[in-house]
Amino acid sequence: MSDITITVDGKELTVPRDELLIKILNKNNFAIPQFCYHDALGMDGNCRMCMVEIEGQKRPQIACNTLPKEGMEVRTRGEKIDATRQKILELELINHPVDCPICDQAGECKLQDYYMDYGLYDSNIAKSDKVHQRKHIDLGSEVMLDQERCVLCARCTRFTSDITKTHELGIIGRGDHACVSTMPGKKLDNAYAMNVVDLCPVGALTSKDFRFKQRVWFLTSTPSICHGCAKGCNIFIDHNREKYKDDTVYRFRPRENQQINGHFICDTGRLSYKELQEKRQLESIFEAEPVEMDVATSALKTMLKMHLKDIVILASPELYKEELESLMRLSERLNATLVCPMESYYDERFGDDWLKSPQRAANAKAIEQLGISTELSQEQHIGLLMSFDHRDFPEIKSDHSVTFQTHIGVDADLILPLAAYSEVAGTLVNEDGIEQWCKQVIHRKEPLYSVREWVRLLEGVES
Amino acid sequence: MDKRIKTVPRYGTGFKDRLYLPAIYEGMKITFKHLKDNVSDSNAIDVLEYPEEQPTDITERYRGLHRLTHREDDTVACVACFMCATACPSNCIFIEATERTDGVDEKMPQRFAIDTLECIFCGYCVEACPCDAIRMDTGIFSLTGNAREDFVLEKEQLLAYKGAFGEEKSIAGK
Repeated sequence: MSDITITVDGKELTVPRDELLIKILNKNNFAIPQFCYHDALGMDGNCRMCMVEIEGQKRPQIACNTLPKEGMEVRTRGEKIDATRQKILELELINHPVDCPICDQAGECKLQDYYMDYGLYDSNIAKSDKVHQRKHIDLGSEVMLDQERCVLCARCTRFTSDITKTHELGIIGRGDHACVSTMPGKKLDNAYAMNVVDLCPVGALTSKDFRFKQRVWFLTSTPSICHGCAKGCNIFIDHNREKYKDDTVYRFRPRENQQINGHFICDTGRLSYKELQEKRQLESIFEAEPVEMDVATSALKTMLKMHLKDIVILASPELYKEELESLMRLSERLNATLVCPMESYYDERFGDDWLKSPQRAANAKAIEQLGISTELSQEQHIGLLMSFDHRDFPEIKSDHSVTFQTHIGVDADLILPLAAYSEVAGTLVNEDGIEQWCKQVIHRKEPLYSVREWVRLLEGVES
Repeated sequence: MDKRIKTVPRYGTGFKDRLYLPAIYEGMKITFKHLKDNVSDSNAIDVLEYPEEQPTDITERYRGLHRLTHREDDTVACVACFMCATACPSNCIFIEATERTDGVDEKMPQRFAIDTLECIFCGYCVEACPCDAIRMDTGIFSLTGNAREDFVLEKEQLLAYKGAFGEEKSIAGK
């Protein structure tokens, strides 16, 4: 279909004939308030917030249920439209409890934003006249529901009916008493349930995991990639360094990427942020005793000099491509064997047909692309086994063992701390071969060595 | 030129100003006037013999040491909304929020501490509070301690202080 020309606030736009007006306006950065419309869920037309004026039409129209026409003239601001929006917003807020001080959505709440942009009226309803409903209901899957704060946009119910097709949520009751709920005795239970928290434009659905941990305006959002599986979903890592404390991650949020994950991520990936700060290996351990860094590095050097012939380097398939490349260079210089056994990273039960890949190693494709061997021959005698955070490390026999660990829980002659993926920058190749750059997100007060820094140190020994 | 740079007119370029002597004369006139007054009648000098003599002019709007107020049912009024910590220019309010299980509300502070050594007593926290939970009406103007840690007032201490001007409970929502 051919493109057509429309005019929005005096600006001419060439747009496809079959795209909804609200999508066009959003794409061209016109501020259109909206609760029920979402790119992933399509239009529903129930919130009535996206009113625009169209030349020749008697009344304002909702942009989410309007298709563009040749020569259409649209106005998104103006006295009439502002007044309409204000009145609709007042209706949306009529039974809202205004409990922003205890609401986790405060700071990223559309009701707050739109009130400041289009509202600014004095309330006509007393707090005592508001309809009260149930608050802090645990819906299951780490989601909390507050029925009073809901604007009934039905994004959450459409998510469970159209996207996950699990149909847990519905709107029950009529008029003032309509509310989002699950069936009696049933829980919200699917692998993508927490996406409703991001979808909810107000504080009706909040995350139980993030509940009361931080106010959102303190958080810094850094774009990154989820390391939960080989899918490589795009995320925002929300983190904050509080006074006298270290940089801490508080949550993962999905970041839109139509090529990979659309608007969503799975709950396992979302909650995997906890691993970044739990059970971390922070000190060097030599023969079961915590030692200073210089003692550890000299022990490492001695071990390396002892075994110059039979070194095996185990590389984790979760390391960045640049790190794997530097390990390849290192193994070449040390004349060592570089391997990366993959079996333990494959989990058939984890996979599904959407965003969860059974390949749990985030950079499995890079191992394949770089041609790193995935088989360790059984007969080979291993003098020194050097593991870079590989899961199989405890099962492999060797004379001496060194492991660079992000997390505690293994036993070796020498254990050295390693920076986690959030503390390093690098490239991930997802299972479809899409290369994605991850920024360094966390800046620790006392930074840990990354793989490349360890490699640089090891190369110094050899020469 | 950079838009952020604002050119202000330079004053004091006239002959009289460049001479300095008239300005010095004006200043010294005031100094000697006070010297004469004070030497002639030393009892008229306005001094407070602190600490033997305590100030009596601390009014309701005086910003004294902070306290946390209670609700009508004597439970903590604070809901840990972090408004005070957000408004605080010296970042000296440390709050950890937790779930409130007594049915009065949903959220309350697990920890609420003010580092009074860092506090500049600007009163922004009181202004920002939507629950009238933090006030500076204790009338306390001096705090002593033996260690730096003594000056970090925790929730229990802040709740124990009484208001010095009658109004005891939080009046939020009234």
